Amino acid sequence: MSESTAPAPARTTSGSAAPVFSVRGLWKVFGPRAERVPGSEYAGLPPAELREATGCTAAVRDVSFDVAKGEVFVVMGLSGSGKSTLVRCLTRLVEPTSGTLTIDGEDVLAMDRGRLRELRRHRAAMVFQHFGLLPHRTVLDNVAYGLEIQGLGKAARRAKAAELVEKVGLAGLENRRPAQLSGGQQQRVGLARALAVDPSVLLFDEPFSALDPLIRREMQDEVVRLHREEGRTMVFITHDLSEALRLGTRIALMRDGGIVQLGTPEEIVGSPADDYVREFVRDVPREQVLTVATAMRPPTAGDGETGPALRPDATVSEAIEAVVRSQQPTARVMDDGRLLGVVDHACLLDVVAGTGAHGVSV
Amino acid sequence: MATAHAPASAAGPGTGGPLAALRGRPALGKLLLLLAVAAVAVPLVHARWGGGAWPGALTADLSAPLGEVNDWIVSNRDSHPLFVYFLGHVSNAVVLSVRGVYLALLALGWAGVTAVAALVAWRTAGVRLAVTAGACFVVCGLLGMWVPTMQTLALMVVAVLASVVLGILLGLAAGLSDRTFRFLRPVLDTMQVLPAFAYLLPVVLVFGIGVPGAVLATVVYAAPPMARLTALGLRGADAGVMEAVTSLGATGRQRLLTARLPLARKELLLGLNQTIMMALSMAVIASVIGAGGLGDRVYQALSSVDVGAALAAGIPIVLLAVVLDRTTEAAGRKAGTEPTGRAALRGARGWALAAVLAAAVAVVGRLGGGRVWPEGGVVPVAGPVNTAKDWMVDHLYTGIPVIGGTADWAAHFTSWILNPLRGGLQGLPWWSVLLIVAALAWTIGTWRTALTAVLAMAAIGVLGVWEPSMDTLSQVVAAVAVTLVLGFAVAVGAARSERLERGLRPVLDVFQTMPQFVYLIPVVALFGVGRAPAAAAAVVYALPAVVRITTQGLRGVDPAAMECARSLGATPGQQLRQVQLPLARPALLLAVNQGVVLVLAVVIIGGLVGSGALGYDVVFGLAQGDLATGLVAGAAIVCLGLMLDRVTQPTARRSRKES
Repeated sequence: MSESTAPAPARTTSGSAAPVFSVRGLWKVFGPRAERVPGSEYAGLPPAELREATGCTAAVRDVSFDVAKGEVFVVMGLSGSGKSTLVRCLTRLVEPTSGTLTIDGEDVLAMDRGRLRELRRHRAAMVFQHFGLLPHRTVLDNVAYGLEIQGLGKAARRAKAAELVEKVGLAGLENRRPAQLSGGQQQRVGLARALAVDPSVLLFDEPFSALDPLIRREMQDEVVRLHREEGRTMVFITHDLSEALRLGTRIALMRDGGIVQLGTPEEIVGSPADDYVREFVRDVPREQVLTVATAMRPPTAGDGETGPALRPDATVSEAIEAVVRSQQPTARVMDDGRLLGVVDHACLLDVVAGTGAHGVSV
Repeated sequence: MATAHAPASAAGPGTGGPLAALRGRPALGKLLLLLAVAAVAVPLVHARWGGGAWPGALTADLSAPLGEVNDWIVSNRDSHPLFVYFLGHVSNAVVLSVRGVYLALLALGWAGVTAVAALVAWRTAGVRLAVTAGACFVVCGLLGMWVPTMQTLALMVVAVLASVVLGILLGLAAGLSDRTFRFLRPVLDTMQVLPAFAYLLPVVLVFGIGVPGAVLATVVYAAPPMARLTALGLRGADAGVMEAVTSLGATGRQRLLTARLPLARKELLLGLNQTIMMALSMAVIASVIGAGGLGDRVYQALSSVDVGAALAAGIPIVLLAVVLDRTTEAAGRKAGTEPTGRAALRGARGWALAAVLAAAVAVVGRLGGGRVWPEGGVVPVAGPVNTAKDWMVDHLYTGIPVIGGTADWAAHFTSWILNPLRGGLQGLPWWSVLLIVAALAWTIGTWRTALTAVLAMAAIGVLGVWEPSMDTLSQVVAAVAVTLVLGFAVAVGAARSERLERGLRPVLDVFQTMPQFVYLIPVVALFGVGRAPAAAAAVVYALPAVVRITTQGLRGVDPAAMECARSLGATPGQQLRQVQLPLARPALLLAVNQGVVLVLAVVIIGGLVGSGALGYDVVFGLAQGDLATGLVAGAAIVCLGLMLDRVTQPTARRSRKES
């Protein structure tokens, strides 16, 4: 459904309209003479038939999206869906087969080696699933590595690195080696290393998949905190739906190399684009993702007078709590003193039971 | 695939049963195909050239042309531009640098050298090894072997430096370029399985007998492991780390210097360790072509069966080997771990302190004593050892009731095992030997290894040394059989008993570090000279590697599978037969392969203690200046080594390396 992902300015993004990354019709095909596949009669084939016909595998097929400034753009999908390849295409760690790709309006695919190096050094830094730390260096020197290859002096880069080690909560461990740290601590080093070069975009490739659930939760909170404090643009790859819903401003759901649906968490959960997505989000506690703006019905006479007032972006579970506490039959959805609609027991239970037809109303 | 199809089509279409059976057992299919080829080819070949030994019609006498080449080189060595402007300079540079290092070692004085060794060991491996290193050099002095030790050390230093530089350059090329790697790897792999003796003659042909030839033979022998491990280390760099480094915008040079090389540090140090050990091994053997030093003392003593003198020179070799191995191994183990010890002694400061201490000891030593170990401080060991050996000859060699004597054992081994085996191999029709080689190599490995093995075997015949090669082969087969029986038995015990393994480990460590040459000393003392002692030395030399690989293989069996077998109530015997041995098959095959390669190396050197055959031809050629004979024998050794390695080369090992 990549055609549905044409430049749709996300309502939740803040800042200017110019996207950080703009991706159009991007392909990455692995295999012999891969460049003949995009745009040919093979392009529409399912993966197995494509391999049968050409010996090629399309890891990313005809993907288009924009990453707006300041948002957390999550790409999620199961393993083999092409999400890791996609994020590597953004800085050409994997060379795309065809398509266009710009960063801040500049054509990435046209960059020469020097310019590309500049991009990787200053504009986009990546955090990896398996950390990718240098085992022979201390924590401090690992964090300073990006600055070192930029040619920064020893004292300056160490001072900057020390600041970031502190920021990710590793103060006191500066002189340890990566092998002496836990997985969560190692990933904090990876995060600090990416932050040290002060990039305009942070790319995360399944950064927390290798961590224990509790540590993963902690690290997700860390990312949320960093995003709140700095407002840095992030592209976040994950296979974990709850992680995607927790972090994502918008989510692109991938399958077999293509984007199946792109939207806010609420759109993904509330109105799945097809059966695949529906199956995917089936077990998500909808009341914690969907907002009252989705669940409400137009007010009828007399509704406006009583009941607790809720903001439109309150979740359904918050509304349930408010309704139960207030002992009123309905709650009012208010925006700037204006009555948008009301939610009653039936609306709320529809969300929980998954029986209501929740077209996205806004 | 072709293996399964050909016999199946012979059986006719529609016979699904046999076809399926062949699919299930590819080895059977290979053997049937081979049998079919043999059924057609053998009668023809037999009618044309007859059975028995390799037919004279198929040999090519190389001694005349080789003799001419030798004569040409001898007469042109002083005039041809290749020698004057290139090889002559190489030769001179080698002589000058060995001389320079030797003089520097003498200038340091015995106290200085001992102090340097101890302090280097202290910095890399700690106090205990420092004491060992110091003691090692003191013992060298006490045995009256100071000067030969310094000669060997000087040759080693030059050869190791050259090997490391050459190895790293080749390793960098192979590590960074796929094409170079594909080309170099089989060459390096093959060089590692060839016996040291095979390298001597070509070098002598070009450089003559003397120090330059010895150093170059050592470099050629010792550089491959450095190159191989450098290449493997560089290629094995963690892809995730390399990607992370690239993602931060590192240039190619930065990637190499800050990531790829440091990540390969363990392999580089392991390569250094192996290079040093192989250089020591070769520097000792190269005494045959005029290396001087400790090896020469052993060589001279062995040729007059003076076990005492051989032992006095052999002990320093063993001590040097142990100290060098432990020091470099400790350096490899420490790589990448956090520095330990008192802060004041870490890194550069510790080394500076060590340098100052060494300098101080050297100065004091030179003021107080001489450059070499004092004459008066030598403990004569040759006499007492020879007395003991004479006692052994009188009392242990023969006539002990029930068990017999060592000489009796050797005689029995020769007459009951070696002789029938040699007779059998030499009596076999030559084409049947080729068939056996093909069958073995193909069942264990691939058609490629089988083809190489058969061609190598045929080359031996063409070279006209079929008879002596069969003699050498019989010794190898006998020694390998004994090694495997002993090795597997010990390994099964060690895999089962933690205590036995712990007790065995230090013994194996020491035995694995000793150069091949020194194994000849004790066997000559025990069994005299001949083929049996050479086989015994080969067994002792190959045993540690076989035991170690097998034990590791048996212990490395997936614990889940073992637990499963235990939970189903399998007896220890059942566990061994049905779980451990099948799962450890790759390790067992590797053990056989290593055993064969190591046994061959020592059986060849056994030519020095009367084992005859190819090894003797090489020694004879060197001693008599008859390089043609020696070179032909050397080429046959190469072919034999290639054949034996390929015959025992499991498919799995190849494919695992490739992935």
